[in-house]
Formats: sequence, C-alpha cells, structure tokens
Amino acid sequence: MLRYVGRRLLGAIPVLWGVATLVFVIMRLLPGDPAALMLSESGGSAQAVAELRHSLGLDDPLPVQYGRYLFDLLRGKLGTSLFSHRPVVTVIAEQLPGTIELAVAAMLVAASLGTVLGVLAAVKHGTWLDTLAAALSVVGVSLPIFWTALLLIWLLSLKLGWLPATGQEGVASLIMPALVLGFASSGAIARLVRASLLEVLGADFINTARAKGLSERVVILRHALKNALIPVITVMGLQFSFLLGGTVVTETIFSRPGIGRLMVNAILWKDFPVVQGVVLLAALVYTTMNLIVDVAYAYLDPRIRYD
Amino acid sequence: MHRLKPHVRFLALTLIPLLTLLTACESTPTAAPTPIPPLPSATPGPTPGGKIIYGLTLAPSGIDPHVDASSELGIPLTSVYDTLIYQDLDGSFVPGLAERWEVSADGLTYTFHLRRDVKFHDGTPFNAQAVQFNLERIANPETRSRKARGMLGPYDHTEIVDEYTVRVHFKQPYAPFLDSASQVYLGMASPTAVQRWGADYQLHQVGTGPFIFQEYVPNDHLTLVRNPEYAWAPEVYDHNGPAYLDEIEFRFYADPAVRALALESGQADVMGEIPPQDATRLEGNQAFTLYKVPIPGQPLQFFFNTEKPPTDDLRVRQALLYATDRQAIVHTIFQDYSPVAHGPLSAVTMGFTPAVEGRYAYDPALAAELLTQAGWTDSDGDGIRDKEGQPLVLQAYLMTWGYLPEVGQMLQAQLRAVGVELQTQTVAFPAAVEAAGKGEHHLAPMVFSGSDPSVLNSTYLSANAEGGFNWSRVRDAELDRLLNEGISTLDPNRRADLYAQAQTRIMDLALVLPVRDYVNLNAAKATVKGLRFDRRGWFPWLHDVYVNK
Repeated sequence: MLRYVGRRLLGAIPVLWGVATLVFVIMRLLPGDPAALMLSESGGSAQAVAELRHSLGLDDPLPVQYGRYLFDLLRGKLGTSLFSHRPVVTVIAEQLPGTIELAVAAMLVAASLGTVLGVLAAVKHGTWLDTLAAALSVVGVSLPIFWTALLLIWLLSLKLGWLPATGQEGVASLIMPALVLGFASSGAIARLVRASLLEVLGADFINTARAKGLSERVVILRHALKNALIPVITVMGLQFSFLLGGTVVTETIFSRPGIGRLMVNAILWKDFPVVQGVVLLAALVYTTMNLIVDVAYAYLDPRIRYD
Repeated sequence: MHRLKPHVRFLALTLIPLLTLLTACESTPTAAPTPIPPLPSATPGPTPGGKIIYGLTLAPSGIDPHVDASSELGIPLTSVYDTLIYQDLDGSFVPGLAERWEVSADGLTYTFHLRRDVKFHDGTPFNAQAVQFNLERIANPETRSRKARGMLGPYDHTEIVDEYTVRVHFKQPYAPFLDSASQVYLGMASPTAVQRWGADYQLHQVGTGPFIFQEYVPNDHLTLVRNPEYAWAPEVYDHNGPAYLDEIEFRFYADPAVRALALESGQADVMGEIPPQDATRLEGNQAFTLYKVPIPGQPLQFFFNTEKPPTDDLRVRQALLYATDRQAIVHTIFQDYSPVAHGPLSAVTMGFTPAVEGRYAYDPALAAELLTQAGWTDSDGDGIRDKEGQPLVLQAYLMTWGYLPEVGQMLQAQLRAVGVELQTQTVAFPAAVEAAGKGEHHLAPMVFSGSDPSVLNSTYLSANAEGGFNWSRVRDAELDRLLNEGISTLDPNRRADLYAQAQTRIMDLALVLPVRDYVNLNAAKATVKGLRFDRRGWFPWLHDVYVNK
C-alpha cells in the first residue's frame, strides 16, 4: 500500500507541471494587459502603462517569463500578487480556511441529505417517497445556487431574522451557505445511493443476512449500505471538487472571504501569480482527493488490493 | 431554529443596551474633552460613543493609498489619513496638515508650512521629513503606484526647508497638485510604520487622522477605532477634537443584490452603491436615509472609435448622439437618480461648461438626415441602412458593471429606430480594456472619476491613443494644445476657460456619447447622523458621524 501511495505521489509531479504550464499559457492567451488594468481605475497615461509593464517584467519575451516562473516554482516561490502586492502564499493561506470550512460543511449537508434521501428512495422503492426523493434531487441539481441563496436570505434573514444574511461570524453564518451549496450537491449523491443500494439489496448476501433473522434496519444500514457506498465515495470525492467550484458563487453572495472569490477576482484582473497559485492548489487538492478515494476503496472493499 | 429565535432576541435586548452603557461609562472619563458645537435647534446633539457597520462594495485587492487605486480604499482611509490640504464642498482649498502654502509664479514650486502639533497614531512626530518621505515613496518606481504617482504629475523632488517647511519641486508647471494633495492617495503615512512593515504596511497603516487603523482581514472586514488625541481637524469637518464614534467596522458586500438586504436586516448601518431599484424602496422607508452623492469626473459614456469606419465619419457619430434618448435611459435604468450627461465631464466637476448642455438633444429625425447625408440609406428595405452594399452595423463592448448590459439594450433599440444595428458584446473588464485599447470597438464604455478637469487628459491626448486610455483614438492638435495648457496653467479662470474650450471641442468632434452623470447612492439607518461626503463624492467624512439612539 505504501509503495502504491508513493508511486501515485511521484506521478503527481508531471501532472502538476502540466497544470502549471497550462495555466501559464492560458493566462497569457486571455485578453487583457495587467499593467493597463492596474492603471484603468485612475486612467494612467500611455507612458505610465508602459513603465509599469516594464517594472513588472511583462515586456520580457514569454519564454523568459516562463523560465523565471518555473525556476521560482522549483524554489517553492509562488510570487507576489500584482494587485495586492503581497506574497501569493500568504494571500491563499488567508482565504483558504473560509473555503475549507464552507466546503466541508456543505459536504456534510450533501452527504447526509443525499444518503438519507437515497436510502429512503431505495427502501421505499416505487412508492410516493421514492418519487418525492427523486423530485427533490432534480430540484437540487437544477436550481442555480445564486437563486436559492437569495431566496434563503430573503426568507431566513429578512423575513424571519433567524440567521445573518452575510458575513463570516461563527456557525450561524455558515448554515445558509452550507445548506445552499450542499443541497445542490445532494441530488447527485441521492440518485447514486438509491441506484447502488437497489442493486445491492438484490444480492445474495442480503438474502443470507435476512435469512439469519437480522432486523431489516441492521440489514440495510450495516450490510447493504456499506457495500452500496463504494461507488458513492468516488462521487463524493468528485463532488468535493465541485463544491470548491460552487464556493465561488456562494462566497460572493454571502460576502464570505474565500478562495473562490479570490480566484474570480484574480482571473478578472489578470493577477497572474494568484491565478497560478490557486490553480496549482486546486490541482493538488484534486490529485489528493483522488488518491484518498482510491485508498478508501481498499478499506471499504477488501477485494480491492493495490500491491 | 424555532427555539433559537427568542434566545437571540432576548440576548440582543439585554446585552446591547448593557454593552452600550458599559462602553459609554468606560469612555467618558478617559476620553479627552470633546468640544461639541452648539446646535441651533432643539434636535438632540451629537453624543460620543457607539459603533457602526459600514458596507463597502467590492473588497479592494490592495488598500495602500500610495500604491493602490480603488475608490473603496478611500472610503475608510480618508478617516485614517490627513492630507496637507483639504477641499471644501464649494471646491475651495483649505488648510489641513499644512497651515498655509504658496505657489511660485512659474508654477514649478509649492511651499507648504506645516502644523507643529501633529503626531501619527504611533507617536511619530509629523514634520517636513515625513512629507518628503511620503512623496518620495509615491514617486519611487519600485512602489508601482497605480494612482498616486499619476496624481503627482511632473514631480521632481521635495526639499526640506526647515523642520516644518517643505518645498515640492516640479519639472513643469502642474496646476492639479492642490487637488491631488487634498486626496487620501497623497495622505500622510507614518514613515516609521512604512519602514517597519515594508510590503505588509497595508495591513498596519498609520496616519494622523481622526480614526486609527486597527485591523484589516482582506475580503472580510476592516476596523477603525477613534483617535483620542485628534485635535487638528480641518475646517471642512463640523467639529474639532476626537471623532464621535468609538469604532467603525467596514464589511464588503460584493453582490449588489444583497446590499439593501444587509441594511434592512440590520446587519449594516451604512451601505454604499445601492442599486437604483432598491434605492427607491429605501427612500420610501422612514427608517433609512438615502444619500444621493454626485461624482465629479467623466460620466458614464461610450467612446466612439474615430479611426474605424463608419464611426470615423463625424456625421455618423453626431447622428448616434442625436438618435440616443438619454432621458429615457436615465429614467428606465437609473430611476431618475442620475442626471443626463451632456459632455465629457459631469456637471459637478470643476470647470464643467454648460455650453455642452442641449448640444445633442434627442432628435431622431436629424439623426436620420445626417446618416442619409453621410451616404447611409436603407436601399434593400430591411430596416438597416447600408452604403455600397455594407449594412450599418456597429460593435459595442459592454461590461457587467454600471448596468451596461441594460443600457446597451436600450441603446440598441433606439439606434435600430434610425436604421443602425448595434451589436453588443458583454465581456469581462480585461477583455474590454484590451479590445478598446487596440481600437477593435466602435463604441466602448468607461467612467473615470476625478475632481480636477485634467481627468480629460488621459482620455483625449493623442499621446494616449496607443497603449493608453484615449479610446476615441483622437489625435487633434487643437485638443492637445488645450489639454496640455490646461494642466500647466495656474490661473483658475484661464484654466476654466481652456477646459471649457476642450469640452466644446470634444463635443464638436462628437468623440463620446455621454449617458449619465454618476451618482453614488448611499443609504444609512435614519439613526446615523452627521454623515457627509467630500467633493469627490466617494469619501465620507466619518469624523462628524454619530448615532442617535
């Protein structure tokens, strides 16, 4: 197992290099000159724009800029944000906790809601409960996050006054964003849990368990669900990455600090170093999540071995 | 959650008055005596104490006023920094950290005589060395200043005459310097703090103003607390001595849709840039006060590309101006909160000339006639004019700010009525800046604010047509002469005359389609009193603000 993990970690290096190169190229292909953008609020003269471009090294040939960038990366340097003129590492480190908090809370909402809905739908297969769970999943997948968010703010903050509309102060201000984001992800999980559970419930070992006289609750929760969750884990891993994407909108609406907002602003304003830093971080999260999912497989299903 | 509600309400009802009492008791004996100006009427006077939450719009990426450029940074920091001089609401300049000043006859030297009783929040004395340090910091190319450097113009160096006298030297006469010196971007920062914190200074800013910069968590909040030693208020403020409020917390509300909600749900006490629809609702509610603050500078406008056919034809550009019903746009989209813009400067800008008013009043018949004269007729009867087989199609770049997509839609319909097809493209800001910079547009929108008419120079000087912000790509010797003379002429009347001529010239050449003068809609709880905004319209004078309980 350790050797497998080691091999996977080594394999991550070319992936990260590829991502680093890709984001470098894409950011340069996108229209917009950072120097002109930096002076766009004050309306600098053409000469001022040219001087700033030179001072930022943006008038160097692209291969020179690329070489400098890779060399810095190798030394563990992500550079300095063009706009906030602070180290990218610091900027990301500041915004990361808010996003992780939100993504984990939303994942909890998505996983619990999705599992409960999925189990209900599978166990009450073909009844109105199944239909209701299916409808809820479709609603969850289809409703745009910004709409549910504004609706919840209107209801829970403005009309009922239960929760703060925006900001980041403790658990109370985490509830709405997590609900909104988690609800959107729960649909996919519920559908998968239902399908997977239905399949497992038809398997022989379930009949055996029932024949042993185990209660239906134990059969479903201990025997069927554990086996049904294997494909669900994969999806949850992927959903977690999706959630990180969803934080962009959620963070903006609920005025929460976080990586999502940081990233959108950095792309909009062509803050090369910040975009590169965040994308590298995202690549790292994806590779790690995939690795965790694969390792979790081996734990959940003894038949899977990597050695 | 049902059960939480009474708890929360109970806690709020008991704790808030308790806390206010406690803070009031605490601050009364320690705070320096606060001279309160007598008020003529029986209205309850300002009471020191309390805290407000002030909602800002987008969270600025960087907030060092010497380095960064956003208006948002100036909203809190105008109360952290004092400036050498201040601009009063009537446009006159009054003493600030400088008691008086002289400008040499050749316009190359500004001499400032400084106050002797001023200390930075960290105890560093304010003196000539501090002024020199600040101006040199801004001018240093390593600072990569995005706004302040431009405001220094042809700055050369600062000479220390004695401990409390400085002389600022310019390479060429530079008339806007007093305007620059009265803005937060040229605010005086503690040299000790700047040297101590280096690149992190923006998180630890130290000025001499009525409020002390306490804490800034990027994207989350910025907290200011009262400076108890403040005793050098400029006369633009209503009172001297320490500010009334104990604390101001700034929070960021990037999504316009939640701004009014945050105010109405009690999360914020003051909120900037309220969408016009929400403003109408708040205006009808006695619990809130709406502040409609006009912003000087350039209005919301579309630059016509004078190099790309068919907008290279003066008659076509004039026709587009006559064909636009700006009153309808202002009414429908901006709920009449903004005045119609008539020229390249908004009406509240110093040097605005009323000569441009009514210059291109809505007249679709005249527009049609001009287009026909220019050779554009609808020969194939499809409703769109054409010439030599080419339809009259124009490209406009829109962006997501400033209700531009909505403005674009109305403009499209209005131009269609005179046989012009406007193709709009809503793109991200960088893409629009890139496209307009390269001259790929027929129409490109932009707003630049600024209280001095020299705000015209960056967009109309021919030197800025390549790689700058001269998006109409005009290269007009007469306009160049007027603008270059305007920025270097010190005599205010002569200056006003030069800029009046420049505005008329710009509209004669039909370089822009002005839409509306920018008005910043701020709203506050009715209990928030004494809130006023400076002449730039963006920056509140928080020194005089108090809360009426």
